[in-house]
Amino acid sequence: MKKFLWFGSALLLCLSMVLTACRGGNNAESSGSVNNTEGSKESSDKKVKLSILSWNNEKEMTPVMEAFTKKYPNISFDFQTAPPVKDYIAKLQTMLLSDSATDIFIIAAENRNEVIDGGYALDITDQPFMSAMVDGNKPMLSKNGKTYAFTQTGWAGGLFYNKELFEKAGIAEIPNTWDEFIQDCLKLKAAGIIPLYDNMQDVTTIHNSLFANLQLSKDKDIDAKIFAGETTFSNTWTEVFKIWKKDLIDNKILTPDMIGLSGDQIVNEFALGNVAMFPGGPWNINTLEQTNPDLKFDMMPVPGPDPSGGNYFAGAPGVGFAVNAKTKYKDEALLFLQFLASPEGLKDFETGTGALITANGYEGKVHPAMMNAYKNGLMAGKVYLPMVSWPRHQEALRSQFVVSMQDLAVGKVKPEEVTQALDKKFKEMENK
Amino acid sequence: MVRLMRQLQFQIFILPILIVYTLFSIYPLIKSFVLSFTNFDGYTKAYDFVGLKNYDLIFSDDAIVSGMSYTLIFAFFSTMLITALAIPLALILDQRFYTSKLHRAIFFFPSIPSGLLLAYIWGFILAPISSGVFNKVLKELFNLGPQPWLSDPLLAKLSTIVVAAWASTGWHAVLYLAFLQSIPKDYYEAAAIDGANRWQQIRHITIPLLAPAMTISVMLLLTGGLKVFEIPFALTRGGPGFETHTITQVIVLRGISETQYGLASAMSIVFFLIVLLIAYFQVTFMQKREERNR
Repeated sequence: MKKFLWFGSALLLCLSMVLTACRGGNNAESSGSVNNTEGSKESSDKKVKLSILSWNNEKEMTPVMEAFTKKYPNISFDFQTAPPVKDYIAKLQTMLLSDSATDIFIIAAENRNEVIDGGYALDITDQPFMSAMVDGNKPMLSKNGKTYAFTQTGWAGGLFYNKELFEKAGIAEIPNTWDEFIQDCLKLKAAGIIPLYDNMQDVTTIHNSLFANLQLSKDKDIDAKIFAGETTFSNTWTEVFKIWKKDLIDNKILTPDMIGLSGDQIVNEFALGNVAMFPGGPWNINTLEQTNPDLKFDMMPVPGPDPSGGNYFAGAPGVGFAVNAKTKYKDEALLFLQFLASPEGLKDFETGTGALITANGYEGKVHPAMMNAYKNGLMAGKVYLPMVSWPRHQEALRSQFVVSMQDLAVGKVKPEEVTQALDKKFKEMENK
Repeated sequence: MVRLMRQLQFQIFILPILIVYTLFSIYPLIKSFVLSFTNFDGYTKAYDFVGLKNYDLIFSDDAIVSGMSYTLIFAFFSTMLITALAIPLALILDQRFYTSKLHRAIFFFPSIPSGLLLAYIWGFILAPISSGVFNKVLKELFNLGPQPWLSDPLLAKLSTIVVAAWASTGWHAVLYLAFLQSIPKDYYEAAAIDGANRWQQIRHITIPLLAPAMTISVMLLLTGGLKVFEIPFALTRGGPGFETHTITQVIVLRGISETQYGLASAMSIVFFLIVLLIAYFQVTFMQKREERNR
């Protein structure tokens, strides 16, 4: 018995020592607090190491962090990164739960509800630098009229198309209606060119655009109504899946074997001229130009079946930088956000990340291929992304969407069953 | 007292690994068990006790039923395939030939890189388009059109099992090789004098004496197969639909993506019990077989 007690005590002691060591320490090199953020004269007297968790990698963040450190030499960074989306969310979640989250982290569409509802992010609605954030970017990072993160970016995506392959198939101009789009795909097929690759591993740009054209254009609150129980996925999305199945799957423009393609393979195939179109965004441009500098490409929206609905791009505000509500370096963290919102910070962020800057009063660099998406999509408000528009259960619904869409592509279910599965998942999540 | 002190001297050496094991295995298991009776969402520390609700939901969940069937198929067939390939391979590698050591290293190599990395490479080889390496070879040799290796429900299952076998056969062959080299050569000499041919020697000496190795190898393969995640995830992401979703992937999906940690914890506990039960019966059965061979 004594042996057991001794052994148990030793085990407990060691466990408590290990757990204590595991507790996140602060990064202070000296303690103290700063109460103003404007210029922060006091903060310049003490050395602080701000911790950041971002899903931009270190290379992308270096220009803006270096410029900030140059301006505020007393503040240095403990930079951490995790790739988007799931890895980042899982890492941040672990950190938040174990009270070891970084001073600054990012909030994405996929985890905004949990982070904001959990009280993990500081309310920054009234910070002076928030005037740089465009109003269109605020709803995604806000709740009950309060904004919890700052974003200076937005993105728009559509269909990249190969101009030379279009010419080869006799397509003189990009399609403006859904029927023209399908006809052009068939023309490409007839010319021996693979019209389109889409690996159906996410809520696709085509689905986004079809839904926006058919439903959102008529009722901008349609998603809110689904989530309020006033309508259902079956009522609003079935038509989208019917059109997608009839025109793209049945015509073999999209084929089930594409499910096995990785995103990188699709980009490479497009860059090498083996496929005429693929859904993508600004993040693909560097790879396309590096893989094939001679490639002539542009981006177009997926044209909708309803001529009165207009054509939509996929798109959303970029992820937002938030300040940890429990940070000991609130002033310094806010100072960094203030720097991000300044013209200098915006330029450095643009240089490092290549992101589309949508901040007030800043004219960003836009790649010529992205100009249509930027002007007629992002800046015209003709972008839609369910993950942003759905107020809750985004990840659960996205997973169900992908699984059911793949089942539809391989002929296992009917369009009606896809939307019924979405309604079932929604109910399950509401009752969890 | 002296005896007690002497015993403690030895037991103190177990302490570090016991702490690590407790911290990273026992504690999470107990915590998962507790959380499986709650509606914990993974973000807020305040959660409610929901009784057996999560356990009730498990078997009405399409994803877990599908994940369970694919995981059992994967574990069973990958174990069979790897065992069927590893034993003959070990017999070949046991022969003395000029490059035998190099061959051992070559076959062992695929077990070194992570499963994720291997699966990404195999993703390019099995790409369903005409530029996929395997499809190119089929086109050149047999003039066959591109095959949907990773997107047809049956081919996707087959592909994941074959890639797993490719990655693990060498490792298990080396395990068998170690046991093969411990079989005294006298047995073979005596059998040869009695007129036994090579096949009879393998059938009556090698295979029975490899039984302990088979028990270990099959147990590792079965438990590893049941816990599989990386290879199917990186190759097919679980698709098409739920066709190649593994149980672990469903647990991650329900827990992390859908913030249903309570439900995911209940799934983990049930899964743990299933693995425990299968491993227990497999080891008991194979140990009895070993005893029969003695």
